[in-house]
Amino acid sequence: MTKKTLEIYSVELSGTKDIQQTDKGNGKEKYRGLKNCFEPRKNHYKEELRKEVDLDDHKLSIKELEKKYDTNIITGLSSTQAAELLARNGPNALTPPKETPEIIKFLKQMVGGFSILLWIGAILCWIAYGIQYSMNTSSSLDNVYLGCVLALVVILTGIFAYYQEAKSTNIMATFNKMIPQQALVIRDSEKMTIPAEELVVGDIVEIRGGDRIPADIRLLSVQGCKVDNSSLTGESEPQPRSSEFTHDSPLETKNIGFYSTTCLEGTATGMVINTGDRTIIGQIASLASGVGNEKTPIAIEIQHFVHIVAGVAVSIGILFFIIAVSLKYQVLDSIIFLIGIIVANVPEGLLATVTVTLSLTAKRMAKKNCLVKNLEAVETLGSTSIICSDKTGTLTQNRMTVAHLWFDNQIFIADTSEDHSNQVFDQSSGTWASLSKIITLCNRAEFSPGQESVPIMKRVVVGDASETALLKFSEVILGDVMEIRKRNHKVAEIPFNSTNKFQLSIHKTDDPNDQRFLLVMKGAPERILEKCSTIMVNGQKQPLDKNTAEAFHTAYMELGGLGERVLGFCHLYLPADEFPETYTFDVDTMNFPTSNLCFVGLLSMIDPPRSTVPDAVTKCRSAGIKVIMVTGDHPITAKAIAKSVGIISANSETVEDIAKRLHIAVEQVNKRDAKAAVVTGMELKDMSPEQLDELLTNYSEIVFARTSPQQKLIIVEGCQRQNAVVAVTGDGVNDSPALKKADIGIAMGIAGSDAAKNAADMILLDDNFASIVTGVEEGRLIFDNLKKTIAYTLTKNIAELCPFLIYIIVGLPLPIGTITILFIDLGTDIIPSIALAYEKAESDIMNRKPRHKKKDRLVNQQLAIYSYLHIGLMQAVGAFVAYFTVYAQEGFKPSILINIRVEWEDSNVNDLEDSYGQQWTWYQRKYLEWMGYTAFFVGIMVQQIADLIIRKTRRNSIFQQGLFRPQYWFVAVPFAILIWVYDEVRKLFIRLYPGSWWDKNMYY
Amino acid sequence: MRRQLRSRRAPASPYGYRSRLDDQDEVNQNYLADEEEEAEEEARVTVVPDLEEEEEEEEEEEEEEEEEEEEEAKAEEKGQGQPAGNAWWQRWQIVNEYLWDPEKRMSLARTGLILVIYFFFYASLAAVVTLCMYTLFLTISPYMPTFTERVKPPGVMIRPFAHSLNFNFNVSEPDTWQHYVISLNGFLQGYNDSLQEEMNVDCPPGQYFIQDGDEEEDKKACQFKRSFLKNCSGLEDPTFGYSTGQPCILLKMNRIVGFRPELGDPVKVSCKVQRGDENDIRSINYYPESASFDLRYYPYYGKLTHVNYTSPLVAMHFTDVVKNQAVPVQCQLKGKGIINDVINDRFVGRVIFTLNIET
Repeated sequence: MTKKTLEIYSVELSGTKDIQQTDKGNGKEKYRGLKNCFEPRKNHYKEELRKEVDLDDHKLSIKELEKKYDTNIITGLSSTQAAELLARNGPNALTPPKETPEIIKFLKQMVGGFSILLWIGAILCWIAYGIQYSMNTSSSLDNVYLGCVLALVVILTGIFAYYQEAKSTNIMATFNKMIPQQALVIRDSEKMTIPAEELVVGDIVEIRGGDRIPADIRLLSVQGCKVDNSSLTGESEPQPRSSEFTHDSPLETKNIGFYSTTCLEGTATGMVINTGDRTIIGQIASLASGVGNEKTPIAIEIQHFVHIVAGVAVSIGILFFIIAVSLKYQVLDSIIFLIGIIVANVPEGLLATVTVTLSLTAKRMAKKNCLVKNLEAVETLGSTSIICSDKTGTLTQNRMTVAHLWFDNQIFIADTSEDHSNQVFDQSSGTWASLSKIITLCNRAEFSPGQESVPIMKRVVVGDASETALLKFSEVILGDVMEIRKRNHKVAEIPFNSTNKFQLSIHKTDDPNDQRFLLVMKGAPERILEKCSTIMVNGQKQPLDKNTAEAFHTAYMELGGLGERVLGFCHLYLPADEFPETYTFDVDTMNFPTSNLCFVGLLSMIDPPRSTVPDAVTKCRSAGIKVIMVTGDHPITAKAIAKSVGIISANSETVEDIAKRLHIAVEQVNKRDAKAAVVTGMELKDMSPEQLDELLTNYSEIVFARTSPQQKLIIVEGCQRQNAVVAVTGDGVNDSPALKKADIGIAMGIAGSDAAKNAADMILLDDNFASIVTGVEEGRLIFDNLKKTIAYTLTKNIAELCPFLIYIIVGLPLPIGTITILFIDLGTDIIPSIALAYEKAESDIMNRKPRHKKKDRLVNQQLAIYSYLHIGLMQAVGAFVAYFTVYAQEGFKPSILINIRVEWEDSNVNDLEDSYGQQWTWYQRKYLEWMGYTAFFVGIMVQQIADLIIRKTRRNSIFQQGLFRPQYWFVAVPFAILIWVYDEVRKLFIRLYPGSWWDKNMYY
Repeated sequence: MRRQLRSRRAPASPYGYRSRLDDQDEVNQNYLADEEEEAEEEARVTVVPDLEEEEEEEEEEEEEEEEEEEEEAKAEEKGQGQPAGNAWWQRWQIVNEYLWDPEKRMSLARTGLILVIYFFFYASLAAVVTLCMYTLFLTISPYMPTFTERVKPPGVMIRPFAHSLNFNFNVSEPDTWQHYVISLNGFLQGYNDSLQEEMNVDCPPGQYFIQDGDEEEDKKACQFKRSFLKNCSGLEDPTFGYSTGQPCILLKMNRIVGFRPELGDPVKVSCKVQRGDENDIRSINYYPESASFDLRYYPYYGKLTHVNYTSPLVAMHFTDVVKNQAVPVQCQLKGKGIINDVINDRFVGRVIFTLNIET
């Protein structure tokens, strides 16, 4: 079966002597990568390391252990001892990550990049009012209102964003409310069940199949126990446990069971050696809290945008301050102008728009099974350039499935899709009949009862992963397996164990004419072959000669090379004369033959890729996103899966592949020839950051196998050094540091551990890699659309600012007032700019490269200049024409308006002459000024419609993008006319016949 | 975009035309002309996207290469070029360097071109605006405003006016009221009898002074002589009563083009204490005695044609007002079609001021 390089985990656990020896050469380099990421917390980390070093309980004998922990393996701890220890060491639970207090979360929403801008605007407004008030107590309250509105916008948007995030946090919280775990413990010589939280070091616990191991335990006695360490190490295969010390590394030795892993089968007794945060998993989880949160790309973009706006605002403000002073305005007045200009530049509505837009997209993504924890993370996926994906569960289905069969000297491919529906291999051969019988009978796995209506592939099975796979496989092909087993009554059985490496059972056959017993056996192929002297080909027994043995080995190697777990099957009909019906089989003495059997076939299993993944990977490829597989699994398996999902494309080779093909040494291969690379944690450990950078840049297809959590972190950092936006997927606790470090951490909703979900920014509710692709699409779209929204919003800024500037310099009556501006910014403009979030993509956004973090800005120079100086200016000019038209038609021609400001605003001047010699009172002028506001407002509004339409696209013509078909606008026009005419008639009759019946009923 | 630029520029590389320059002069000339056009076009293309700036760092190396190439080309050119070709070549070089300075990439030409583009853009914008404004003025009559509903009903204003409607003065201290007198005198200069007789016509009272005819014809104005104001004309009492604590205040109605008071019933002025004891003002004399604006002063034809129009006045002579206390006075216009109770506008059809005469 697959061999494992066991040294890998010793990287982190270097305390033992042997490893120190092997690592002597580069002992100093060992933690290089780790030092990089934990530089500021070096001391703390060292401490952690020392703790890991201390874990040598696996080497101690039971007596020594008893002494060390002051316990007894028969009687357990006394309850007083236990209470003492519990008080001293605290409960056996992981300290949850420090919850940010809700109020801090809330306040955080109020001080983001944009909000700061608005706050400053609001404060400036109040300062301006203060200045005005000190000069003239009856000054207008506009500035106060403006300030309040700005503050209100920030607060409301903050509440909205907070609510949005709280909602997704709540969804998360409901995922798996864990039932308090119980542990079977021996205390005071009595077996008792206590909550796992109350376990203390030295407790003797018993576990059995299905239990979660309640703490780090040293196993004392074991009966066929297998554990699932995938959440810790990423190995998808069950790991057998025993009570013997087998390896120096505590992670590799078989006599340690780890907290939070699951015992799949068998029973075991163990002594608790570490509890709570001191467990291995606790230490890894605490690594995550040490990793700082990176700023999201969109936050950076918004900050950049704020800088631009602030820059523009302050420079225009100061410029006009100087102009105002040189125009002999009072300095205090000029300061008010300065503040006014700065505030006028603040896009009041944009904060709300961006927040709403992001949450709309988040909602849309949630529908596609991407739950976004942090609103800003919505866009991050779009700018992702590297995805570091976990293998198990994300790319694969996380269950063993029969992939290949070999019989009759032929390899057959089984269907590995999610529902197994399409088994097309040739089932007519007699060999298959025998093989299927062995598969069915030599299997201890059973369906849990009461699942008749559940599809076969989804049924819950009691048994280990491979047996489950075989059971489901045979159930799909043969139908009711349990019925077949019933008909072929089992008379004896030897379960699988690691010394025999085979499993055997003896059955009565269902053929009433055949009194022979059938002996069926499965196990490690080479062991099975040893026991065989014949082989079945096309249903006929043939002697096992050299050629067939050769064929067997080729097939075995081939299947093994695919990273699959291979099992061999053989059988023997026991001769009826030697083994009559009444014969008693004794499995201990083995009073039956276990050699000279008949070899039937091989069957290989793999955790197959999800069917949607290859397509998703291709899409990522075409979207310029590099997909890197990072797994704790074996390199061969990892590579096989990578190949089958397209992470390593069909025609690319690794250095090793080339070496193999050309029959030369690996060192002789030109590294440039290889596009793909499979790097093990072992090799990664020896790499300098520069080498890692080189690896990441030179190879487009990379698989990291046998990696540890810390190494995952190093890989993420390496990617980030390439200026890439890195997405990391993961489910285990071991992934949480990397999830946190990544620009966007994606946790699995179903398989994911709480630690992973906490550390992640986004959760895939269906654990499906393909959902990431839709997320990327949405993210890119939202980036584009935000660009459009901002362009749309910025445009009218100039049209709102120009009036004020002209007012200062030329002395016209104010063309548009503060309140009117607010009405545009927070009223009429909000809905169109939100609507832009729904704009469909202009081109295939999944066919272009991800945006460059530093070069493709959300708001770039072109956008600002085009919005401000081109469209914005046109808009301002247009609105001014409207304004002048109103004034000119009312009597004030533009020429007379110049420098009219002081007299215009003097409420004591009540006979101001216009161009026609008419004289206006102050209030009449004011009224006219309001008309001017309205004209200007309408002017902006009308042009904003055009602006909205042009902002739909950036490159395509609007006609390519498509508008609502114009003809549909006119469908209802006749009815509009009808309404009008009808009402005119109504009014006519009311006027004609006052007091009539019509008048009474129709006049309102 | 970037790639496009590169490929466009490719044929224009120095090597490209060097080899061709070795040919005949005529060919050269034609060719160079083409090249100039192309270079201009090239520069224009580079202006529009600013990708350059962002990619500048990356391209520095390339630029250096280009530069070297160009220098090589120049060096070779000096040796090989024919005399006539040289002249052209130098001119070409100047133009080239102006349009495309490979060292900085931000060449003078580029800045220049940006300016030119913006100049044209804004020039056309200005042209559009001018066109709009021109059409606007075409639709607006210079004699008659398009709408007058905002300025109607007429407002009222008083003289003397010194940025305040509070008349505070001490009878015995001329300094406190002298500016009122000066203001009134100045205001009434235009009403001097001699001037009025010279410029304006004496038209029949009690009826509108309607002057039909073309809009653009100059209109005649009715005389309003200073002497109509009698005691408040400043002719007999040059201090307008301020020296005796009996101040004259002139009231005029705001001019509105085309405004006509209701026929037969001229607009009257009446003043009373606005708030407080009615008897604070015991008597007011109005001049002209009718206390009204005669119909002959209406309508007003606008300042372009009705040049010498003098607004009719009503003088209020507060002959007996309580002294040493502020008396709020409200003077209202009365007449058909006159509104004097707009809440927001305290100057439509009425005027409120306070008299505080100290002795």
